[in-house]
Amino acid sequence: MEKRFASIWFRYLTTDRHAVRRPDLRAVPFALAAPVHGRMVITEANAVAETQGVARGMVVADAMAFLPVLEVADERPGLAARLLHVLGLWCIRYTPIVAVQPPDGLILDISGCAHLWGGERRYLKDIVGRLRSRGFHVRMAIAGTIGAAWAVARFGRETPIVRSGEEANTLMALPPAALRLEPEVTAKLHKLGLRTIDSFMHMPPSVLRRRFGEDLPRRLRQALGREEEPIVPLRPIPPYVERLPCLEPIRTAAGVEIAIQRLLESLCKRLAGEGKGLRAASLMGHRIDGKVVQVGITTSRATASIPHLIKLFALKVPQIEPALGIELFVLEASGVEDADPVQEALWSSTAGLEDPALPELIDRLKGRAGIRAIYRYLPDEHHWPERSFREASSIVELPSTGWKSDRPRPTRLLPQPESIEVTAPIPDYPPMLFRYRGTAHPIKRADGPERIEREWWMDPGEHRDYYCVEDDQGRRYWLFRAGHYDDDSSRQWFLHGFFA
Amino acid sequence: MVYVELQVTTNFSFLRGASHPDELVERAAALGCRAVAVTDRNSFAGIVRAHVAAEKHGIRLIPGCRLDLMDGPSLLAYPTNREAYGRLSRLLTKGNRRAEKGQCRLFKADVFEQREGMYFIAVPPDNLTAAFELEPDFVRHMTTYREALGSTFCLGAVRTYTGDDAKKLFRIHQLCTALDMPMVALNDVHYHVPERRELQDVLTCIREKCTIQTAGYRLHPNAERYLKPPDEMERLFRQYPEAIRNAAAIADACRFSLKELQYVYPEELVPQGRTPQEELTRLTWEGAGRRYPQGIPDNVRESITMELAFIAKKNYASYFLTVHDYVRFARSRGILCQGRGSAANSTVCYCLEITSVNPAEIRLLFARFMSDARDEPPDIDVDFEHERREEVIQYIYEKYTRDRAAIVATVTHVHARGAARDVGKAMGLSLDAVGRLAGTVSSHWDNYIDEQLLAEQGFNPRDPHLRKVLQLIDQYSGFPRQLGQHTGGFVITQGRLDELCPIINARMEDRTNLEWNKDDLEALGFLKVDVLGLGMLTCIRKAFDLAKQHYGRDLTLANVPQKESEVYEMICRADTLGVFQIESRAQMSMLPRLKPRDFYDLVIEVAIVRPGPIQGDMVHPYLRRRNNEEPVDYPSEEIREILEKTLGVPLFQEQAMEIAIVAAEFTAAQADELRRSMATFKAKGQVSAFHEKMVTGMVKKGYTEEFANRVFKQLEGFGSYGFPESHAASFALLVYISSWLKCFYPDIFAASLLNSQPMGFYQPAQIIIDARKHGIAVRPVDVNHSGWDHTLEGEFGVEHHALRLGFRQVKGLSEEDSERLVNGRGDGYTALPALVDAGVSLAAMERLADADAFRSMGFDRRQALWMVSALKDRPIALFAGQPSECTKEGQIALPLMTAGEHVVQDYASTGLSVKAHPVSFLREKLDLLRVTPTGRLSAMKDGMFVKVCGMITVRQRPGTAKGVLFVTIEDETGFANLVVWGLMFEKYRREILQSRLLLVTGKLQIEGEVIHVIVNHCTNLNGWLRGLATPEGVDAAGVFHKGRNFQ
Repeated sequence: MEKRFASIWFRYLTTDRHAVRRPDLRAVPFALAAPVHGRMVITEANAVAETQGVARGMVVADAMAFLPVLEVADERPGLAARLLHVLGLWCIRYTPIVAVQPPDGLILDISGCAHLWGGERRYLKDIVGRLRSRGFHVRMAIAGTIGAAWAVARFGRETPIVRSGEEANTLMALPPAALRLEPEVTAKLHKLGLRTIDSFMHMPPSVLRRRFGEDLPRRLRQALGREEEPIVPLRPIPPYVERLPCLEPIRTAAGVEIAIQRLLESLCKRLAGEGKGLRAASLMGHRIDGKVVQVGITTSRATASIPHLIKLFALKVPQIEPALGIELFVLEASGVEDADPVQEALWSSTAGLEDPALPELIDRLKGRAGIRAIYRYLPDEHHWPERSFREASSIVELPSTGWKSDRPRPTRLLPQPESIEVTAPIPDYPPMLFRYRGTAHPIKRADGPERIEREWWMDPGEHRDYYCVEDDQGRRYWLFRAGHYDDDSSRQWFLHGFFA
Repeated sequence: MVYVELQVTTNFSFLRGASHPDELVERAAALGCRAVAVTDRNSFAGIVRAHVAAEKHGIRLIPGCRLDLMDGPSLLAYPTNREAYGRLSRLLTKGNRRAEKGQCRLFKADVFEQREGMYFIAVPPDNLTAAFELEPDFVRHMTTYREALGSTFCLGAVRTYTGDDAKKLFRIHQLCTALDMPMVALNDVHYHVPERRELQDVLTCIREKCTIQTAGYRLHPNAERYLKPPDEMERLFRQYPEAIRNAAAIADACRFSLKELQYVYPEELVPQGRTPQEELTRLTWEGAGRRYPQGIPDNVRESITMELAFIAKKNYASYFLTVHDYVRFARSRGILCQGRGSAANSTVCYCLEITSVNPAEIRLLFARFMSDARDEPPDIDVDFEHERREEVIQYIYEKYTRDRAAIVATVTHVHARGAARDVGKAMGLSLDAVGRLAGTVSSHWDNYIDEQLLAEQGFNPRDPHLRKVLQLIDQYSGFPRQLGQHTGGFVITQGRLDELCPIINARMEDRTNLEWNKDDLEALGFLKVDVLGLGMLTCIRKAFDLAKQHYGRDLTLANVPQKESEVYEMICRADTLGVFQIESRAQMSMLPRLKPRDFYDLVIEVAIVRPGPIQGDMVHPYLRRRNNEEPVDYPSEEIREILEKTLGVPLFQEQAMEIAIVAAEFTAAQADELRRSMATFKAKGQVSAFHEKMVTGMVKKGYTEEFANRVFKQLEGFGSYGFPESHAASFALLVYISSWLKCFYPDIFAASLLNSQPMGFYQPAQIIIDARKHGIAVRPVDVNHSGWDHTLEGEFGVEHHALRLGFRQVKGLSEEDSERLVNGRGDGYTALPALVDAGVSLAAMERLADADAFRSMGFDRRQALWMVSALKDRPIALFAGQPSECTKEGQIALPLMTAGEHVVQDYASTGLSVKAHPVSFLREKLDLLRVTPTGRLSAMKDGMFVKVCGMITVRQRPGTAKGVLFVTIEDETGFANLVVWGLMFEKYRREILQSRLLLVTGKLQIEGEVIHVIVNHCTNLNGWLRGLATPEGVDAAGVFHKGRNFQ
């Protein structure tokens, strides 16, 4: 079969991406910049900015000097590559063989594909139209070689579709840069006055090779189809979705449970095989009346344990309303993470967070009592006691910092400090007696004060002087006074926690 | 017994301390302390400022430092006497020299070696162990310290409200008892008032490169590290009163003051058996004999005697001898130099050949600049050729050794803009917001933030978070950021310099510098000498060399004929491109108005076009008076004495200061403080206090308020851009000499100017055009004729030689390649391979082909490049001599280049073209648009509307002329000066900043010989330049210089 290639050029790949998020950027000059030797240098400018003279490689300060309205955002490293990858995957609907051409292009091997869209012209229009409607500036060309398609997509002036065998004629009028050459080679050709490809196309290859290196004759051969060019296609990543069509509509809870079991079996097998585990999943039941019912579960750590997942879903089964019957079940793993393979039962003394029974218990409790019923806390780097811990996002999350142990902290911290009455000598000596919920606690021992200031960038206010005190019963409390005794004004005291 | 704080970290412990040394000292004085210590981390950088502040506030400064050791807990060290101070300074030097710039590597053993005469306090640990004990490691270290350091070793204790203070103090006390050493109360002060804690937190974030939200435990939990009143400290340490007593006792024992540092001049300059004064007297009279071979005139004799007596009285002889010594060295090497500064224009300096300005000629009074009252050390800056200054520096290092000579530091301060950036980042603003915020801080000498601008940038000026950020920016700006190296200030001493001040490694290899800057040194009475580099001196020396080589004239700075009227006529015509100082656009437009006729006029010219006089609106009154359009009068007789030379208008820095002394009854010291407070932008509040004092003082003495305000305004301008008369005079000499060269030897002048690039305002292309206008033939770069430098070609002695461009003009060509090429040239190159045989690299040959340097061999650039690029395959070694494959290639016809393309390529490769001006190719098209060539503007009438078009050479936006932009454009017939008003600039911002070729329409303004075009429409014609090359080519406009921008 005759080979045909399509080249897609994303003229403003990353700026377009930003404009998708913020449509107002489309109409204003906008550029992305990254630091180079301590100066911010423009890495890509959108079309509006380009027409006003902003170009890649300019220093942001210079560009801002003549175009003060220029919007500049930081370039996110790797964004272009990721975008190309995503766009490449999207193109797989048009042909199975798609390859990325960094920094800003895709190449599609479309041999034998275009007729499905009713010819190359419609094929091209469809792709370009859809990409444009997604907000990307694209140029696309189709030719019999990768090189020619690349050249015409970027430099072509006439038709974007080059018939096979016409490559040489089409390339003749294009500048040397259309051959994918190093900038030094292009510059040299330009200096020699060789400004279109036809001015050197027919020179003996040895003459060219001697002066411009191996690259030029090779690129020329490739573009003209005299040399094969390899292509490394992207492969799609199959999504974690399982479908179960039913012969007869399912209407009973037992039926639903069997369906869930089947779906989970095949999904978990795949997950386990790839070393992954599930953090969130949803089950959709397509009913024969055309409606879809859906339930979702989440887990505390990545798991592929079928019995556990079945238990979680079992809690949700009553919410599934089968009505006249469900004809298709779809189970989708919406959250998937790498899971450490668990060695099963050689040593059965797993305890603590590593014990799979604990997260499974938590999942079940959460399933029953609601997702906000159980927390796990981790230390957070703040001096202010109320902010010195935070909620963990999963059962196995490791703390980024250790619990601070060099200052006394109570084992139980009250969510709200409670007001108490205190007898204490001024200005900052420990109290002698405090009254809490009607009971007087004479203080026998005390340590402090530990003065903690507010985090001034978040809340203004007074510092606290904390004291650890022990009453006559030997019970220890964490008290504080808000602020100083500077002007004899009486200060409020609070109880903030209990030591064991 | 009153408590004395012994642990104080200033902001010279960069990004740690949050208060200036003077703020801390002032606060200590206000709290009633009799003394306070300063202990920065491994540094003495802040102690001089603290010392000066302490003198001012009448308390005692205890100099000290915190030694952060590589192998043990930190120690605070305080010298008790001069010797111990020297040892501590040497210790720091040792640590500094071991490490990279900004770091200090010290070990316990180093400290033990230098311990004598010093008190040490160990910094206590932050925490106890879980069992409430001191770390066993710490205890072990303390035992070692105690043994090695003896009875002057103490252990510090702090109470910073950490909760376990009582336990810590108890343990420390226990350890002190066990080891039998005193316990000393400290407060680890980081700021003078608790409110600065916020700034200290931000500094921590900047240091740790994190934001305030993520800084966590890196911040201090509370604001206790401020300077506490002594009674509060006594209360906190009530259980250990001896700790307070011990602190006071150490303070009393450490009686060393920086006042004891005695600066001693190097002695080797004086022969045995003579005093420096005798030696200076001898040298001066000897020099006078040389300067006046026909006999010394009486008035000169008189002023020499007077000056010598003054020098003897102030004991400055050694200083003059020091300067004389390295100036003599420079002369012996043929390095041109010229002194400037208050003392440089003395007759003594003239006789010692430190300066070539004949003081009699400019009627400068020596004593006025070195009066008794202004107890300032003399000031002589010497400029050397910038390319050879390093030789002088190395001479000084060699002669006095690195132990005795070092470069002065400069303290880089945080500018408002940088502060905005740092604080913004630390406060967690997005990068974009940080950039916009920094943009609202208008400029570095102007510290205020405009609310309007903030709103324009999308900030809410009333947002409390932003207000906090702004407040922090305000506090942070003016903080010292790092120690740099002064451009050329040296301190040379008789004894070891490292016992006076710690020496640190500079970033540059082979350089070391002190920790103190020039103000610090001045405060301590150290003398520094300045060894500076000046591009124009390089140019003049090269010109003198060429004059000797081609015309047989032996020129020196002193023997260039003075008072040549032709030279002054040239200057009056503003034909001064390339001339020192008066080549700028502003200077050029002033010249025809000022019409300088003698040397002193040049002095005024140099001084008048400066921001100081311009901001003070002194220029126009002076011009009117000079042109007899306004009577010359004086508000009083005492003012007449000061201002007579400048027709009653203060133009020089000294004049304004003298007025402050004479008319507003400032003391000399106050006047000096006033000038200084304006130079350092941080002292904002002080300036307005001075303003009031000055105006009320003058009004009281009967001057009008308007006059007083005017003088003050000028002083303000001088603060940032002062130009004293003595500097102006020294510069004026170089102005005259460079003008003289340009006037009589334009060929030499152009060649040496090109050989000294980069310098000055103009690009080589403009220098060449100017040279041609003066009738000099300019020949292109050629492999058979050029050298590295630009050279002159012509018969010896015959006037005006042709200028041959040198290889240094060719982009990308190295001096080594050029050397190989010239060495292998023999009788000339006839074939390309001969260059390869000479060792010229192929890359270099390509560059030469690009520069079209093969014409003498019969190839244009394109043919040459085609052949050069094929040389890679040339048979070598065994096959050498055999015909290369490329000789067998069929002839390939390359497209011919148009003249326009050649010019574009010339610019791309050498930055200029001798073939034609690029605009000349566009003239036909421009004629169709009725564009006037710039050369014909003078024939037009004032007020007409004209179109002009040219390549932009300079854009200048002086800070003094608000919003106005001056643009110079150039075409093949000459230059045109454009004036763009603020509104027009906003409208055509893009055109003006982006164009290389600019077409403007505007109104012609002819004022005598000064022609301006007031722009009201701009078009960017870059596209036309592109068209010069080819329609499809690379951006040909890009090869032309985009014009230089000046503030």
